[in-house]
Parts: sequence; structure tokens; C-alpha cells
Amino acid sequence: MIEHYSEVLRSVLPFLLTGFVETLRISLLGVAGGSVLGFLLGVVRGQNFRYATTLIGGYLHLLRGTPFLVQLYVIYFVLPGTGIPWLMWDSMTASLLSLSIYTSSYVTEIVSGAIRAVPRGQWEGAFALGMRRVQTLRHIILPQAAALILPSLGGVYVNLIKATSIVSVVGISELTREGENAILRYPGDILFIYGVVALIYFCYCFPVLKFVDWLESRSRQNVSRGRATAEPSP
Amino acid sequence: MLLDFLADWLVGIYNFRIVAHYLDEFARGLANTLAAAGASLILSVALGTLVAGARLSGTRFLTWPAEAYVQAIRSTPLLLQIYIVYFGLPLLFPAALRWPELWLGIVALTIHTAPYMAEIIRSGIQSVERGQIEGAMAVGMTFLQRARHVVLPQAFANTLPALLGQTAILVKDTSLLSLITVFDVVAAGMLLNSERIRPGEGFLTVAAIYLTIYLILLVLSQRVQRTLAGKAWNRNPA
Repeated sequence: MIEHYSEVLRSVLPFLLTGFVETLRISLLGVAGGSVLGFLLGVVRGQNFRYATTLIGGYLHLLRGTPFLVQLYVIYFVLPGTGIPWLMWDSMTASLLSLSIYTSSYVTEIVSGAIRAVPRGQWEGAFALGMRRVQTLRHIILPQAAALILPSLGGVYVNLIKATSIVSVVGISELTREGENAILRYPGDILFIYGVVALIYFCYCFPVLKFVDWLESRSRQNVSRGRATAEPSP
Repeated sequence: MLLDFLADWLVGIYNFRIVAHYLDEFARGLANTLAAAGASLILSVALGTLVAGARLSGTRFLTWPAEAYVQAIRSTPLLLQIYIVYFGLPLLFPAALRWPELWLGIVALTIHTAPYMAEIIRSGIQSVERGQIEGAMAVGMTFLQRARHVVLPQAFANTLPALLGQTAILVKDTSLLSLITVFDVVAAGMLLNSERIRPGEGFLTVAAIYLTIYLILLVLSQRVQRTLAGKAWNRNPA
């Protein structure tokens, strides 16, 4: 019994680890793309420009209102069919793009929320000193917002890691897909192989989640001790 | 001239006449999607209440397994959980071999959603101020009376928005059931795409259906926050 499992494990593990490296790569690229896009949109949305806020709000509802699987299908199947040459991408580009867009919706909400949480007086004070909008953002607002943004980003990152399992359906050989391939070789050990795959995901996500919990509890303590960087508005 | 070209281009991507042939399939898919979401919602609130109770119980034999369960679910992808239930449950309970895929999907979604529901329920119960319970004790209410007339109505009002938000997530999560051959909305779109090779009609329709459900839930949640919760609505839950 144990010999059988150790034999299965020995022959399957190298492929699963290759898949894990791919999952790692996709999730890091996705978090990078999603953070950049989400940060830009969030900074704009946090400042209440007339049309931009509505437009970005629509973008967020569009992404929040549809499942990631459907977003992936639209980006992978529908967009290349529009006849526009630069939309005819392969499955990897489509996967990375949909992961980035999916992640950006969460990041946008977090960044704009954090910017709005900085009291108005901070803006007014900076403007009174003759700072321009970009200077105010860079030197006054964003450093204070960062303390609120960073802990929440960790949760988004875990969501993204879990979402990468879905791109296996368009043929990306990441961890879940490699698990399915391993099951084709050992059909009798479905549960064992999926168990190992789940364990690998767990080892990746759990430390991130614990780190997020720690960051959140620390920032809560700072707030209750009155050491928060953003002062409460009068 | 340019308008004609644009119109042709748009119809080339999305032609409603093709969708009209598949309205029955989309209706059947929508029924399965709503059935999966509704059943998992009720079951996961029930299981979530048990988990929340176990976590708040203070007995190590209960808190420890509940904690392990919550962390295991939070740290693994839903797709994998669905596969494990789909392939694993029939191995553990041979009776499940004769179950339709939809039932297995509901089991998987329930197991996945319960920890999130537990967290919502826990924070709802803890959002009721201690003074409310002490006041109820002072007028001589029993535990059941306190729960029924004081704690639960307020906890429910405080958690409704979060509960509706989690329901919206649950509806979206049902889309993964199409991968274990449940005929849901996504599967209906897949069918259209594979029979007619028209991805636009297939998947944009699916996206529009999900978006409609989401917008209904969004409006409902805003209504609820304003009216249904009434005076019990606590604007700053602890």
C-alpha cells in the first residue's frame, strides 16, 4: 500500500513540481500586471474626476458581475474572432491578460478606497503649500494610503493564485493541469494525486494568508494605539 | 457606408438570431445555475452556522477541526475542491455514484462556501452589543428568547449585505460546475459555440446573463440596506 503510493509519488512529483513552477510564474506575472493596471485605475478613481469615476465604476461592475471562467472564455474565444489582428493571441497571452484584468478590479477598489480614506485636509494643506496634484499624490497621499493598501493586497494575491487553476481549461500546463495528466497515467489514484496537488496549493497559499492576517492585525493594533499614519478626520 | 461596415462587423461578432435558436438551452442552463446556487446557499448557511458555533464554542475538540477545515478551504482553489468531490465522493460513498452531477456540484459548492458563511455569521453575532444581551437578561429573558428576539434579528440585519455579497460570489462560482458536465449557463454557451462555432453569441450571452443576476443582487442589497433592516440596522457594526 505505502510502497504503491511512494512509487506513484516518485514518478508523478517531478511533473507536479514543473506545474507548480508554471503556477508560480503565472501568478507572479498576473499579480504584477493586475497591480499596475489596478493601481493606475485606483489612483484615478480615488480622486472623483467627473467621467472617469463612472467609467471605472462600470468596468468594476462588469468584472465583479461575471465569473472568471467566462471572462477567460471571452478573452480567449471571442476577442480573437473580432478580426482585429492584435487581438489574435495565444492561450498564454489570453490567460495572463484575463488574470491581470480580473486582479485589477480588486486592486482598483482597494487603492481608491485607501486614497479616499486619507482626510481631505491633507489635500487642502498640500494645495495651500503650492503643491501640484501629482506632487500631492506622490509625497502626501500615497505614502499614507500605502499602509492601508498593502495588507489588503495579500488577500487579492491568494485569490489570484487560486484563480490560476482555472486557466488549465484553455490548456496552460500549470499545477492543476499537470495533476490531470498524472491521473491519466494512474487512473486508480485520482484522490491521492488530487490530494498531493491540493497540498502543494496549500503550501503556497497558506503562508501568504497567515502573513496577511499578521499584517492586518498589526495595522489594527496601530490604529487602536493611535499610531496610524492617516489621522481621523475631525 | 461606415455605419454599414460597423453594423456588419458587430453582427459578425454578435448576431441575436443565432442566440434565439438556443433560448431553450439557455433557459435550462439558467435553471440549473439558479438551482445550484440556491441549494448551495441554503446548505452552506446551515453548515456555516455549525462551523461558526464550533469556532466560538471554546472547546478545543470543536475549534481545532473547524479551524483546520476553514484554512484548508481558504488555501486551495475551488476548481480542485470540485474535482475532489466529483471524483472522491463516489469512492467514499458508493451511493453517490448514481447521483446526478448537479448534486455533487452542490456538495462541492456547499463545502467551499460554508467557511465564508461562518465568518459572516460569526461577525454578525459579535456585532450585537454586549449591552443588548445584558439588557435582555435583566428583563428576565431565557437564552432562546434572547437569541430569537434580541441577538438574531440584529445579527441578521447586520450581516444581510455581506450575505448578499457572498451570494453573488456563489452564483459566479457555479460557473465552474460546467467543467464537471453540469448543464449550467456556461455549458449552454459552450454548446452554442461548439455547434455553430460562434464564440461571440455563446459567451457574450453567458456574460450578459451573469451580469443581470449580479445587478439584481446589487439593487436588492442596496434596497435591503435602506428598508428591510429598518431601525435594527446598525450603521457602524463593531
